[in-house]
Amino acid sequence: MTAAVATARVVRQAIACGARDHFELWTVKSWVFGWLVRVFSQVTFFALIGRMLESPAQTEFLLIGNAVVVAGSSAVFAINNTTAERAYGTLTLLVASPSPPAVVFTSRGLYVAADGVLTALLALAVVGPLFDLSYPFPRALLVIPLTALIGLAAYAFSTFLAGLILRKREANGLVVNATIVSLMALCGVNVPIQFFPAPLEWLAHCLPVTHGLIAIRATLAGGDAAAILGNAGLELAVGAAWLTIALTTFGRFIGHGRRDGSLDFAS
Amino acid sequence: MRAFTAGFRLQLRTIGAYPDAVIPFFTAPMFAIIFLLIFDHAGREDLTAYALVAPVFIALWWLALFQAGWVISIDRWNEVLELLVAAPGGFAQAVLGRIVAVTAAGVVSFVEVWLVARLLFSASVEIHHPWLFGATVVATLAAMAGTAVVLSGLFVLTRNAATFGNSASFPFYVLGGILVPVSFLPDWIQPLSRVVFLSWSADLLRGSLLPGPVDDAWLRLAMVVLLGAAGFAGGHLLLSYVLQRVRATGDVARL
Repeated sequence: MTAAVATARVVRQAIACGARDHFELWTVKSWVFGWLVRVFSQVTFFALIGRMLESPAQTEFLLIGNAVVVAGSSAVFAINNTTAERAYGTLTLLVASPSPPAVVFTSRGLYVAADGVLTALLALAVVGPLFDLSYPFPRALLVIPLTALIGLAAYAFSTFLAGLILRKREANGLVVNATIVSLMALCGVNVPIQFFPAPLEWLAHCLPVTHGLIAIRATLAGGDAAAILGNAGLELAVGAAWLTIALTTFGRFIGHGRRDGSLDFAS
Repeated sequence: MRAFTAGFRLQLRTIGAYPDAVIPFFTAPMFAIIFLLIFDHAGREDLTAYALVAPVFIALWWLALFQAGWVISIDRWNEVLELLVAAPGGFAQAVLGRIVAVTAAGVVSFVEVWLVARLLFSASVEIHHPWLFGATVVATLAAMAGTAVVLSGLFVLTRNAATFGNSASFPFYVLGGILVPVSFLPDWIQPLSRVVFLSWSADLLRGSLLPGPVDDAWLRLAMVVLLGAAGFAGGHLLLSYVLQRVRATGDVARL
């Protein structure tokens, strides 16, 4: 069996395991009446600010930004997977197995990113019309792959963060919440990134969501194809960069934990 | 009173020991930055008070939902609930002491949000009605503690407590009008908002920060107190039911 086939098998099983976890956590009823209602309310909360400002343009900006960022912020929840493995006592077994832990973890939480993408698209589709947004068809369909791209880029970023806090389980909740609210603040979700001071604008360029969101706004506003493709390419590049960093550093973080025995026992 | 004090002190130590407990103290200033950026970008500095009130409610609600609401459930998981129920000290007083400690810690977010506005946005934040502001803060903290008592009972009795906890943030922020007043919501939903104490508190706090008279201030303050008291009463009934049931079955941790 070639290494590629073996890796593909690990990926498939890790995805299946993650998906099963997801369906243990959520039933269809709790997902619809719990999670979806929460996300729709979140998008409504920000869209209402535009209505209070009596600005349809602001309403549209805030609604689209806060719906799309759900794809990114949901992917950040994947950080929880790593600490969950520790809580279940299975992390050391995974680390001891011959499969690279980075491949397992990268695949295991993909369902979280998929869930986020679906939720973000549903928020756009349901909450948008409530605030008189109309989407230009068929070009609006391009929003689907762009949102998926954002979800994957954010997922790569969150995989890096998961490695970073692997031995600091107590910081998990803080890192997840801080990352989500930072993405909301910095990635052009609520105000254009040009409104920030230059250092923050540069930081925004290095984060997931920023360029994908610009591409989505351009798509829905009837922008030219070059701008859309350019920003989609940048989102892809940011995601690929974070994935590379995640894969490079994850083994190192695990190695530290193996050396000092802290994978299971540090807080 | 000793049980209350012991619960209060225990919870303060817990807050210091677990980073999760300080999450709202990071997110509240970040939400303040987001809201201030939106209003700054829109050229609406007149809405600064709105941007400062909302993050405080987000922090308080988070504390009620994820810290105070879970005190009994966490005791069950740590297998100390049996000891607490069997102890001669008052169970309800100890739980209340812990919940009040969490709620009182929320005051920190007021200071943080004020500092963000002052230092990052050079916004002048003046309390135009200090007595009303003080009274509303106290009534809001009490009502939040009352809500947390209800949640702590519900979380013990409900199988899907975690799901509810994760989902009950933004729906209540919208219904409570913590940033955008309830008057901007559709007419059919506004009566529902009026039974959420957040809507009365948020209106009053915004009003106390703005110049100009605040209409029906004491009546609205009474509504916050009334809804908070209803929370305490409901919570007390729920906790009594929980205690009665665990004592009858003798199966505290597996309720």
